[in-house]
Amino acid sequence: MSMNVNTRPADVMPPWAKAITLPIILVVIWQAWAMTLPETSPAPAPLKVVQSFVELTASGELVWATLQSLGRVLAGFAIALAAGLSLGVLMGSSRMVRENLDPIVESFRPIAPMAILPIAILWFGTGTPAALTIVAYAAFFPLLINTIHGVSRVDRQLIRAAQTMGISRLRIVIAVVVPAAIPSVLLGSRLAMGVAWTAIIAAELAVGAKSGGGTSGGVGQMMFVFYAYSIDLNGIVVCMIVVGVIALLIDRLFRLVERHLLPWRN
Amino acid sequence: MSVQMIQPKPAPKLRLKGISKEFIAPRTGQRTLAVADFNLDVQPGEFICIVGPSGCGKSTVLNMIAGLEKSTSGSIEMDGKAISAPGAERGVMFQDYALFPWKSVRDNVGFGLRHGTAGAGMAKAEREDRINHFVQLVGLKGAESKYPHQLSGGMRQRVALARLLANGPDVLLMDEPLGALDAQTRLVLQVELLRIWGETGNKDDRKTVIFITHGIDEAVFLADRVVVMSSHPGRVSAVLDVDIPRPRTEEVRLDPRFAELSEEIWSLIRDEAYRAIA
Repeated sequence: MSMNVNTRPADVMPPWAKAITLPIILVVIWQAWAMTLPETSPAPAPLKVVQSFVELTASGELVWATLQSLGRVLAGFAIALAAGLSLGVLMGSSRMVRENLDPIVESFRPIAPMAILPIAILWFGTGTPAALTIVAYAAFFPLLINTIHGVSRVDRQLIRAAQTMGISRLRIVIAVVVPAAIPSVLLGSRLAMGVAWTAIIAAELAVGAKSGGGTSGGVGQMMFVFYAYSIDLNGIVVCMIVVGVIALLIDRLFRLVERHLLPWRN
Repeated sequence: MSVQMIQPKPAPKLRLKGISKEFIAPRTGQRTLAVADFNLDVQPGEFICIVGPSGCGKSTVLNMIAGLEKSTSGSIEMDGKAISAPGAERGVMFQDYALFPWKSVRDNVGFGLRHGTAGAGMAKAEREDRINHFVQLVGLKGAESKYPHQLSGGMRQRVALARLLANGPDVLLMDEPLGALDAQTRLVLQVELLRIWGETGNKDDRKTVIFITHGIDEAVFLADRVVVMSSHPGRVSAVLDVDIPRPRTEEVRLDPRFAELSEEIWSLIRDEAYRAIA
């Protein structure tokens, strides 16, 4: 009897099981290594990280910091969405606008979000406005570029088809160009959300450095406090894990929204 | 004195007078004459097929009638009025169907009624009835909620046809609508198309059709008159009356007249066809 490829033992494991097997093995090794160290060692260990996580959650600190960071990401993302969409539709539909603005956009795009931090702090101080500026700046480019792409690549034939039905120009934009660009815009949103989350943590870390801690809040700030004041490596690891898990959740959420909004794509 | 009535020739539905189209390449500025001195009068309810070698400017002629492209010279009139822009009274069926991928079958069929001039002032119930009617007519019942990517080529073609008809155009402009289908589906849909066009019904109820194809037998099977084009530049080389009675069925293909006409058209474009692949 021939061996069916699909019944090989490795493929019997569901994807999620495969996804967690290696991390579990690594954590076990990490814990084993940590147990060889003296009790006073500051090195992070899995059990201590769990303990730290439980304490930070119980005190509400971690939840509050996460909510603060998420709130900033959402606000910064909203600003970027408004700016990126409107400019993107303009640049995508008018060649004239695109050719004039493209050099400016392309020369700002390589400037890392953190590189505008000095200006943001000087203009807005070390609080939320500076952090929002950085998040919005980071999220703006993926949104803009993908909106331009989506709008300018709308199948010409669909527009022609609409014209032959006696549909007005404005109505064609609303009923044809915008829906046709939505997949690109959603992709841009997902990428933008990812970089926004990356940027907020970095911004809070850096803004925290100047403010001396405690004032601006957020997960990044929390990490800074653990780093600069209590030298708590386990706390830092907790923050890192939270950042990673939330980034993953954001990505999955956006994919879910995409699948839901675009049933016509498979 | 004889009392014999002289039937006045009805005013043409479409009149193409001395149409030419020149394309200018954007960078090099090189001019290409795609269509030259194209003349054609189309009577109301007439089914015209345009055949010709690839690149002879058939689609350009169609696009100019649709108002999607402007002619370099000459005039195109519909019911005596000059055409300058696209309009719902001249419906187009595109070679690649141009269905809206984010719309279901039903919403594709109703797209023009919802957003275009054809459905202006139409009550919702009337619109729904109309969509139902054409969905049924082209045999799409049961597939209304599917999206284009879920349909076969033949089904998509039906959606495009229903969408075209739902807008109630006076003139149907069809750009190789069956070109992308397999041979069997094509034959079935040719018969269907004639049925939907109203071959068996009253002659006055039929729409005026300009149908572009590269299939000679397809043209003979469908048309009242076949316009044969030659290329470089595209011009009318002959217009043939297809004097095969309607309604036409599959048996028509065995008619000696069918073979004769096909042969005649082939002889007109054969040299160019050979030259094109030489």
